[in-house]
Amino acid sequence: MASNLAPKKFTRTQIRWRVAGSFALLLLCLVIVYPSAVNSSFKFINEKLGIGVPLLPDNGFNLGLDLQGGAHLIYQADTISIPEADRAEAVEGVRDVIERRVRGGLGVAEPLVQTTKVGSDYRVIVELPGVTDVNEAIGMIGETPVLAFKEQNTQGSREMTAEETKEMNEYNKAAEKKINQVYVDLRRINFTDAVNRYSEDLISKSNNGNMGFITEMQYPEIYEWAQTHKNGETSKTAIKTDDGLSILKRISEKEGQTQVDAAHLLICYKGAERCDSALYKNKNEAKAKIEDLKKQATANNFADLVKQYSTEPGAYERGGDLGWFEKGDMVPEFEDAAFATAKGQISEIVETPFGFHLIYKKDERVTKEYEVARIFVKTKNETDFVPPAEEWVDSGLSGKQLKRAEVVSDSRTGQVQVSLQFDTDGAKIFGDVTSRNVGKPVAIFLDGQPISVPTVNEPIRDGNAVISGEFTWEEARLLAQRLNSGALPVPIELISQQKVDATLGADSLASSFKAGIFGLILVILFMILYYRWPGMVSVISLIVYASLTLAIFKLLGVTLTLSGIAGFILSVGMAVDANVLVFERLKEELKNKKTLATAVEEAFVRAWSSIRDSNITTLISCVFLIWLGTGFVQGFAVTLAIGVIASMFTAITVTRILCRFSFAWFKPEGNILFLGAGKSNEEKSNNEIK
Amino acid sequence: MKKNLTTKLNNNSMNIPIVKYSKIWLSMGLVVSVLSLILIFAWGLKPGIDFTGGSLLEIEFNKERPAAEAVVKIFEESGIKNTMVQKVEGNSLIIRTSFLDEEKHQEILAKIKTVSEDSDLIENRFETIGASISKQLRERAILSIIFVSLAIILYVAYAFRKVSQPVKSWKYGVLALVAVFHNILLVMGVFAVLGKFKGVEVDTAFVVALLTVLGYSINDTIVVYDRIRENLINRGNRAFAEVVNDGLNQSFFRSINTTATTLFTLFALYFFGGATISNFVLALIIGVGVGAFSSIFIASPLLAVTENWQRTKKLW
Repeated sequence: MASNLAPKKFTRTQIRWRVAGSFALLLLCLVIVYPSAVNSSFKFINEKLGIGVPLLPDNGFNLGLDLQGGAHLIYQADTISIPEADRAEAVEGVRDVIERRVRGGLGVAEPLVQTTKVGSDYRVIVELPGVTDVNEAIGMIGETPVLAFKEQNTQGSREMTAEETKEMNEYNKAAEKKINQVYVDLRRINFTDAVNRYSEDLISKSNNGNMGFITEMQYPEIYEWAQTHKNGETSKTAIKTDDGLSILKRISEKEGQTQVDAAHLLICYKGAERCDSALYKNKNEAKAKIEDLKKQATANNFADLVKQYSTEPGAYERGGDLGWFEKGDMVPEFEDAAFATAKGQISEIVETPFGFHLIYKKDERVTKEYEVARIFVKTKNETDFVPPAEEWVDSGLSGKQLKRAEVVSDSRTGQVQVSLQFDTDGAKIFGDVTSRNVGKPVAIFLDGQPISVPTVNEPIRDGNAVISGEFTWEEARLLAQRLNSGALPVPIELISQQKVDATLGADSLASSFKAGIFGLILVILFMILYYRWPGMVSVISLIVYASLTLAIFKLLGVTLTLSGIAGFILSVGMAVDANVLVFERLKEELKNKKTLATAVEEAFVRAWSSIRDSNITTLISCVFLIWLGTGFVQGFAVTLAIGVIASMFTAITVTRILCRFSFAWFKPEGNILFLGAGKSNEEKSNNEIK
Repeated sequence: MKKNLTTKLNNNSMNIPIVKYSKIWLSMGLVVSVLSLILIFAWGLKPGIDFTGGSLLEIEFNKERPAAEAVVKIFEESGIKNTMVQKVEGNSLIIRTSFLDEEKHQEILAKIKTVSEDSDLIENRFETIGASISKQLRERAILSIIFVSLAIILYVAYAFRKVSQPVKSWKYGVLALVAVFHNILLVMGVFAVLGKFKGVEVDTAFVVALLTVLGYSINDTIVVYDRIRENLINRGNRAFAEVVNDGLNQSFFRSINTTATTLFTLFALYFFGGATISNFVLALIIGVGVGAFSSIFIASPLLAVTENWQRTKKLW
């Protein structure tokens, strides 16, 4: 005990370093919590000096559904009809289907779909942040997964009827008439007025006809016109595009992307991505070959070498030609090498996930982009009347006839495959479909999306089929699972639903923010008014505490819910507890005529066991709440626990070091700024009188 | 070192004789606890949909909101019983009813739109909880209360293991819990009254509030006990009750001040934090407020009384 009580001695320099450390911590936390403040000054520097200081990531806090609005759904899976061993997998299948539907069908960016097992019940929990139409979501999730086998559509789309042709021609004639009228008007009024009067392109119309900078990819016809005209010129005739007629005006030009025209030679090996060739058994063989080719290759013989050696499908026909491409079109390793190589040269050997490449860079150019304004008049074409032909048509075979799908491996090659077993009906239809489509692809659709497009090698009549492709084991397992859940969906039932409207969420966020600020101000006022100078110190450490906690929330990705914010605000009140404990001790020590320096050291040492014990009980409650609780409970307990731990840390480090540092500014026995100092004489005499 | 502490104790500026009136404080606590128990058993707590299963709709109307009876009628026509409608701030209604599947939910929403002639009404909140979920929530609430209490007794016994004289360390844990259960009974008693007269329900959030109060009040009590423990080590030949009273006086302002700062933040949450969590915060305010009282006026007098009993009557 005695050794514990002996205060550690620090030199003034050591203390100064620790104070600097505390402020560095505060600064770091503030930057993490609010990076846009730093980013805006970085942007300013970048603009003024033209240097590229990278910006800090600004991800914001993870907000729970009750704060950003959204839906929380719990489904119970009815697994009674499924053997116990297969239940977990079947429910996982349901999970996958739901996730695909909410991502693809509803466009929810970050859905959380997870399975849980409570007792013997399997449940699927679906969280849909920001979803407004929960009814639609529920409808989409509840659908039975649809599995369909489709074959290629051999019939084109239908012809237009005479009536439709007539309608189209009349519509387009009216459009031309309108364009002519615009040209007549353009002699009297300026371009902008004509845009506002006539243009049917609502987006550019709202911007006085300005379409912004366009590229060749976006509008080939308009780009072609802009290339051959000068800034300020207006087109003499209307330019025809698929969807209408445009009167154009070129406004300005700028340099766009750098593009490279190149050809490449690929040597892939077994195991590389998308490698169909088994010519090279491993990486080393492929590497040896490419090194050999690198020695031979020149600009003149490159095309021949490609035709002879490249393992890329179609290399013979195209000579490995890639055409013009720009940054972002290719994998980074390949792109970097292609851009770095000089014009007319062969690159060094490039390794990508697909294998080894040699690149012959034929040419390089900088494209132009043109800022163009237009007056647009819509015309109609065939696709407005006749829908384009579907690529795939139903074969009549669906998940109903699929008995089972499983992952198998080919006994000879070891290749991973998915085997399908159909029932008798299915076997017959499948036999017909396959005999019609030998050498052609057949597509397997799940929920309207193609998941596998195998090519039929021979008619299959026994109701067994394998889908062989470039599967990894994991991909094959996933596919089999999806096929099984398509064929044997586990019925699910919605047993709980919680929905919060986004506006209510935003209101809750705003009001809890307000509550937090008020709470903090009240605590700060109280501490300063009651404890005076040490109170000031504790306020600094309280601010460090609040920013540290928020920074931890952000770094750990803690999801902030309304209850979580309440937990955090409550922890602000509790965080000062450690300071209160210490300052009450300090008051006592000062009354005993100790010097400030000794009193503060003793106060911290003596208060520590209370601080530790009292916080541990709160942590115990939190641990059980996190362990047993769901949603509301966990949000609260997690933030409270993080808050309690952070408060212990700031109380015994930041408060302590700031006390050591600042108390040296005062005379050793303290003054009016310290509770308990200078009073003791008077009180002592009171005691004596008693 | 010893001398130092003794002078300090004698030197203490404040000396309110709290332990001397132990019997008064303890009987007050007993009366409050018994009264709360009677209220809880007589009126019961009103369980929310978390624990019973059921639905809650919060609907904001643009036009004049329909009368409560009209809404209840809509539910009854669709075969849904036990519907309660409550008017809340703004132009909103909160409707509590039994479990609704999505089909019924949409059917009823459509009917409300027709009746109120307000097709743009906003459904701010919709919760529906099935029987299996509410059963799980009930079980977990009970389990967590049991586990937290046990863990805290064990921890306190461990923390006070060095102080086994004259009161055994585990007794500190039990006595601290007795004081805390007094707080919890009082919170529950208040909510029984609120449930009876204001229709306030207890839900998962209420259980969380209780457990937080439990942790927080124990924390408060531990600090007082800790001070008594420290004084006991240098007790000399002073009476146990006197040592307890000193400890109490030394930690008196700390208890008040810590509770004050916590209450500041809680009141800010209560007044500005929005209606969704106001009952949760109210439970915390009552529990934390009473916590300061019980650690001073219940936990420590209990300690003195226990020591007195085991010395004179050999009880415990």
